[in-house]
Amino acid sequence: MYIRKILTSATAVCALAITTAPMMAQQVPEGYPADYAQIVEAAIAEGQLNVYSPVDAEQAQGMIEGFQAAYPGIAVSWIDVSSGAVYNRVVSEAAANQVGSDIVWSNGLDLQLQLVEEGYAEPYASLEAAAFPDWAKYKDSAYLTTVEPAVFMYNNVVFTEALPANRKDLAAMLTERAAEFDGKVTMFDPEKSAQAFVTFFADAGNDTDAFWALSDAFGAAGGKVYSSSGQMREKVISGEHPIAIGVNGAYALGWAKKSPNLTVVFPEDYTIASSRAAFISRNAPNPNAAKLFLDFMLSKQGQEVAASAGLPAVRTDIEGDNFDTVNEMAGGKLVPIKLDEKLLGGLDATTRSDFFQKWQNALQP
Amino acid sequence: MAKTHADAAGFRWTALAALGILVLSPVLLILYQSFLTGPFFSPLSRLGLDAYLYIFRDPDFYRALGTTTLFALGTVAVCVPLGAVLAFLITRTDLSGRHWLEGIVLVPMFLSAIVLGFGYTVALGPSGIVTLAFKGVFGDAPWDIYGLPSLILISGITHVPHVYLYASAAMRNLPGDLEEAARSSGAGIWTVARHVTLPLILPALIFSIGLNVMLAFEAFGLPLVLGDPDGVLVLTTYIYKLTTILGVPSYQLMAVVAVVLLAIIFPLVFIQRRLLNRARRFAAIGGKGARVTSIRLGRTGQIVAWLGVGTWLTLAIVMPIGGIAIRAFVDAWGVGVNLFDHLTLGNFQALFQIDTLQRGIINTVLLAVVGGAFAVLAYLMIALAGHRWSGWGNTSLDYMVLMPRALPGLIIGLAFFWIFLFVPFLQPLRLTIFSLLVAYIIVGLSYGLRLIQSTLLQVAPELEEGARSAGATIGQTWRKIVIPIIRPGLLGAWTMIMIIFLREYATGVYLMTQGTEVIGSLIVSLMASGSLDTIAALALISVVMTTGGLLLANRLGGGKIHG
Repeated sequence: MYIRKILTSATAVCALAITTAPMMAQQVPEGYPADYAQIVEAAIAEGQLNVYSPVDAEQAQGMIEGFQAAYPGIAVSWIDVSSGAVYNRVVSEAAANQVGSDIVWSNGLDLQLQLVEEGYAEPYASLEAAAFPDWAKYKDSAYLTTVEPAVFMYNNVVFTEALPANRKDLAAMLTERAAEFDGKVTMFDPEKSAQAFVTFFADAGNDTDAFWALSDAFGAAGGKVYSSSGQMREKVISGEHPIAIGVNGAYALGWAKKSPNLTVVFPEDYTIASSRAAFISRNAPNPNAAKLFLDFMLSKQGQEVAASAGLPAVRTDIEGDNFDTVNEMAGGKLVPIKLDEKLLGGLDATTRSDFFQKWQNALQP
Repeated sequence: MAKTHADAAGFRWTALAALGILVLSPVLLILYQSFLTGPFFSPLSRLGLDAYLYIFRDPDFYRALGTTTLFALGTVAVCVPLGAVLAFLITRTDLSGRHWLEGIVLVPMFLSAIVLGFGYTVALGPSGIVTLAFKGVFGDAPWDIYGLPSLILISGITHVPHVYLYASAAMRNLPGDLEEAARSSGAGIWTVARHVTLPLILPALIFSIGLNVMLAFEAFGLPLVLGDPDGVLVLTTYIYKLTTILGVPSYQLMAVVAVVLLAIIFPLVFIQRRLLNRARRFAAIGGKGARVTSIRLGRTGQIVAWLGVGTWLTLAIVMPIGGIAIRAFVDAWGVGVNLFDHLTLGNFQALFQIDTLQRGIINTVLLAVVGGAFAVLAYLMIALAGHRWSGWGNTSLDYMVLMPRALPGLIIGLAFFWIFLFVPFLQPLRLTIFSLLVAYIIVGLSYGLRLIQSTLLQVAPELEEGARSAGATIGQTWRKIVIPIIRPGLLGAWTMIMIIFLREYATGVYLMTQGTEVIGSLIVSLMASGSLDTIAALALISVVMTTGGLLLANRLGGGKIHG
């Protein structure tokens, strides 16, 4: 806590030093209506902002600092809630009339949407919304902030060929050389990771044949599934499973920079992109600070900060990785998961159990 | 002695009631939740058996239940004999280096199971450093760390300290005369161990068996890391799956599995109590303060013993801790990688840059050291309440102490999250570290209490009776006589609790909030985003801190972890 305070005041001091007129920072951002000043004023009076998010502090640091530089005087509490626990925490706190979150920002897209549907989000038409495509907005409540492509990744020391860059070719290779690749391939586990389910469900929805052909080939090659990115990363780094399917590319590109034996491949047939959705909580304790933060997240600056922390932005008018640059890496075949009712379909019990039934069958060698 | 149980009745019942509230509130909440069709706080939920029907119709549940049973029995079959032998060697023989070993033996307890499992992957996994080196020399490595047999073996050898602790506490206090008598009548060392020492420490072993069965039933980290790749499903990983497989988290299903775990524990505690009662009759230890003389192993004995101990040390400590330590200093490892080309200090960078991680370290240390002291105080009150007390009060105390052991930390954490959220006068405490402390006290209950109880039992009744007949009240007797005598035991319990609190991870997942982050739970979220380099660095620091703390405690207070 002390460290946070020191950091906060340090950031404030910096902000003071940079902008010669201290009040500058609290002025209305360029292009915003004049009456936004009231929200800024009220937010500073609140003086506090609570974010619930599975985005770990390492990735969030830049965004917190950027926000505090723009609006000194608002302390940010970054509450690291694991993605499985976000839904529970929001729903439970609301039931107990103890809402603690101002902003909820999570990669569990289906559950985020479910929360909006169940009325746990406070609608707010962000002033930055115009810069976002329709697929990244939902009922003026939830907004997608990042572009996280699901990619293939392989260990270039162990697997020295060029990895087939589309589902059908990869499936063909795994099937033809099933004995050689026995136990050498890994995939994200949709049964244990909600994030993996959302991505694979969208993948199967985009090209049913290609997705299940790859899954079948994966099963035939005795593939192994893991429930966290951390496990998959280590298994590929060490060469235990030199090939991985469905890895979060936003992370993988960063890992590949640190570990030169990793290569990331964007599937050329199409690359599904997942994201993180943010909304303002209903009955948020600091509603004005929440609006400020949501606008900041969606602003050019906020998107740039996120991109520089390794989470590519949805906005394309920014410096750094964004939808366009990721789409370019994906050969123009990026298919973002849309923030719409289709996502909720994945929560339907029958749909879900059908998917898992098929998944189980695919995993049978 | 016959009369003492009536004394201090007020205190005893108050302590029992306090324990009851602490333990039963989460348990009853879970029980209630299991009979609902939705979250207990939702107006749409109604009473029903739907959740039970779902679980009992799910073939995966039976598969997980069967595997868990095998896993638990296997773990106990490995760790109890090994732990008992190790305790015997260290406390009853002149094994060279035994004083040094005493501190080292506990190291496998210092790391959360997830990190421990990860350490094994780095060392002995298919691309592990040792595996590759072995393959380089011999062409093939004949082991596979995944799958049920390996899981059982690894769980067994890493749970040896959990047996060693209780067995060594019991052995240390055995008078040496019985063993000496046997030795001088010509019995060999293993005959002595089997026919003299073993029956005397049977109560401690029975307790260890019970504890380890329960630990195995609620184990999550090792099965996740070492079992999952081979499709080994245990009840805790099954619970994990339940949270995702239906989409919106279904707490009623998790609650049903928790209730099943509780239902398994009840007969276990019952059997354990029966066995303990019977065993105690044989273990009527007389003699006060008889000098413990060590059994001489002789030259061959030393060599044989060290071969065994060395193998265990290598498998249980050098491999996993070495694996973690190496991972903390490299950015790549495994096939085709020369570790020396990949040395880096970069993994530690995040620890110094991210204030959440720093706060996590500070909070964890605070919770372990200060919180641990509070926990021991609470356990002491409960232990005194049950001390020389018979009747159903004591019986229910026994059950309540072991009940939380059956529940996975994740579920205890979730239950306390709800209790602090929905009980009005507790609400202000929810966002403080106090809520974590309460949950941790419950998690550490069965470990800590047992250590205190067993020390209490060693206080000769004559001492208490002497004080009583001189006119002291029972409170005075406890304060002036009993507590000073058992101080080393309390210090031991404190050290033990510190270790447990330092590595706990699941309990904080739901409870932790800004300002109350703990290392263990931060590791869970780092795992999700793949920062295993940071995890390794954090884990290494945690091992170094724990070892340092343990050495310091030994030096300052002689607080070795034994009764």
